[in-house]
Amino acid sequence: MNVVFTFLDWFWVVMFLLLMIGSGILFYRLGKRSESDFFLAGRGLPWWLPASSVYATHTATDTPMWITGVSYKHGMAGIWYTFFSAWAAISAFVSTRIFRRSLAYTQAEWNVVRFTGIGAEMLRGWMAGWQVFMNMFILGWVGIAMGKVCEFLFGWEPWIGLITFSAVCAIYVLAAGYWGVVMADFQQGIIAFLIIMIVSIWGIVEAGGPSGIVEKLQNLDIQREARIETLAAMDANQLSSVSKQELAFFGADTTMTYQQIATLEATDFSMPRTEASRTNPFAFTGWATGDLPLAWCLTMIFIAILGGFGMGTTIDWYAEAQRIQSAKTVRDATYSIWWGTLVGLVRNSIWAVAILAFYVLNPWVFDVGEYEMGWFRLGFDYLPAGMLGFFFAAILAIHLSTISSHLNLGALYATRDLFHHYAKPDASEKELVWVGRISTLILLVGSFFFGLMMEDITSWLIFAIWIMAAGIWLPNILQVIWWRFNSWGYLSAWMANLAFSWLIVWILPHYGVLPELADYQQFWLLMIFGAFVYIPVTFLTKPEDMDHLVKYYVQARPVGFWGPVRKEAIRRGLINDPNAAATT
Amino acid sequence: MSWIRTEWTAEEADEWTKEDLITIILSPLAYLLLTVGVALACLFMWQGYVLTVIGGICTYYMHKIIDPKLRAISSEYEKKQQEYLADLEASTRWEN
Repeated sequence: MNVVFTFLDWFWVVMFLLLMIGSGILFYRLGKRSESDFFLAGRGLPWWLPASSVYATHTATDTPMWITGVSYKHGMAGIWYTFFSAWAAISAFVSTRIFRRSLAYTQAEWNVVRFTGIGAEMLRGWMAGWQVFMNMFILGWVGIAMGKVCEFLFGWEPWIGLITFSAVCAIYVLAAGYWGVVMADFQQGIIAFLIIMIVSIWGIVEAGGPSGIVEKLQNLDIQREARIETLAAMDANQLSSVSKQELAFFGADTTMTYQQIATLEATDFSMPRTEASRTNPFAFTGWATGDLPLAWCLTMIFIAILGGFGMGTTIDWYAEAQRIQSAKTVRDATYSIWWGTLVGLVRNSIWAVAILAFYVLNPWVFDVGEYEMGWFRLGFDYLPAGMLGFFFAAILAIHLSTISSHLNLGALYATRDLFHHYAKPDASEKELVWVGRISTLILLVGSFFFGLMMEDITSWLIFAIWIMAAGIWLPNILQVIWWRFNSWGYLSAWMANLAFSWLIVWILPHYGVLPELADYQQFWLLMIFGAFVYIPVTFLTKPEDMDHLVKYYVQARPVGFWGPVRKEAIRRGLINDPNAAATT
Repeated sequence: MSWIRTEWTAEEADEWTKEDLITIILSPLAYLLLTVGVALACLFMWQGYVLTVIGGICTYYMHKIIDPKLRAISSEYEKKQQEYLADLEASTRWEN
């Protein structure tokens, strides 16, 4: 589709870009004061500012594509894909509190607060390097998603959308650092939420309202039966003009040849769900069968919610860690994570309903690339002239909020953990701010290369999430809740996870040693295999130095199995024993 | 709710207590109810309204239970923060 903008549409776009760049210039003086200001806004923000940043950062250009993809395919039950962000439910009250009290700038720095010696330094260096890479990678994949949106809308080459808008965003990140990011995120979060509501409600109304959607889904069930009858009546020659995606959608076994499918009766076509059940969030396809099994959903909820006891159990933690430290108190940090995530979850629910509207307006689209653009199409197909520019400005808001956060976050790891800690520990604040800016620029240029290399967003996304989450999910919790877990155990978990991820996800299935496993099955396998490495390594190496552990315990007050450290802290008189106080 | 504490000393607030436990049960429940509830409410389904209201009640009680404790933790911790920050900077600059 090629969208034609009127003067009013371009007016919205230009005004929005000026507003964003202007906010960067406005906070330039605050951002350049120190490393703490350039990366944490001086650690003094009220909860609603980092909360809006949490929401805005995790509303990226590829988010509506991804949510549209799963909601179009699975109906309302697709919202469980988005429920991984519920890790914040427990994290806000447990690991957020502990991390905020550690005061570490980054998760990499937290390693030297929690662990000690060469193991801790190796973890810090490894994690910092990994995060610089990951942020460049995320910038690339979000950037190319914008490139694809611009290609879809205006027919531009993908690189134009990628480079133009990431470069515009870099202006205010370079000028004001995290101050610019968080202030722009606040505005972008409001604009993005407003337009998501407007477009979604508009789409729902176009589809006949909520009751119209339900009625149309029921009618689709009747049309579906007719289509299956038609397919069953076709001979092999006629069937060859029907795509395999369409045959799969209507329940034919697509591992069969067209000749074999032509022998099927209508009753042999078995769709995993009725059209009417698309309104049911619990319409699973069986315990472990079909494309949306209950076992997968339970694994997702288990990983998400219990992951909140740990740090880094999802890829989003690393961005959230920066927001936690920028909050002015522990309480502000807690509420920023909790409320920012809730707004995201509610937004996903509204999106899912809007995609149902898109589904009834455009049923049975079989090409993933086409239906993933569904939410964008709701806006550009149905909003009136003059509003299109506002919609595109909101898409830019969605895009810029994510790009700015990851530019600043990647630069934080490069500056604080690599340059400041290893290269020049006595660097002045002015030098550190400049290194932050140079790192931002390097990340920006690197992201262009990543973006242009990335063809299939989804498979990379899933692999990146597994690398970051699966095999180290449990170690990420153990490092918080178990005093005996040491740096060598944690380091070995990372190394083992890298090796096992490649093996289980790519190499072994490629050579037929393992069958192709569902993602939730890979998760359990990676968790078990990893434990065979890091548990023995932990017990075969010494515990962390007790002085260091006591210092950490008194400052961060971690939850879980910290008995020996707590006793030592009480013995040294660093904390009081509430039980002793109760008996005297 | 007399069994829920609303007055905390700094030392007491630093401990993990039943108020934390109740909060981390109510919090995911609130997320779950509000996610599903809002989706169904947008389709004008009565179940959606019921779940959303229950989710809202969970959120209200969660805050009522944990907020006094969070305030106590925060006010106490802020007094020590400068000292801890100095320690952190010293370790970055390898002075100890």
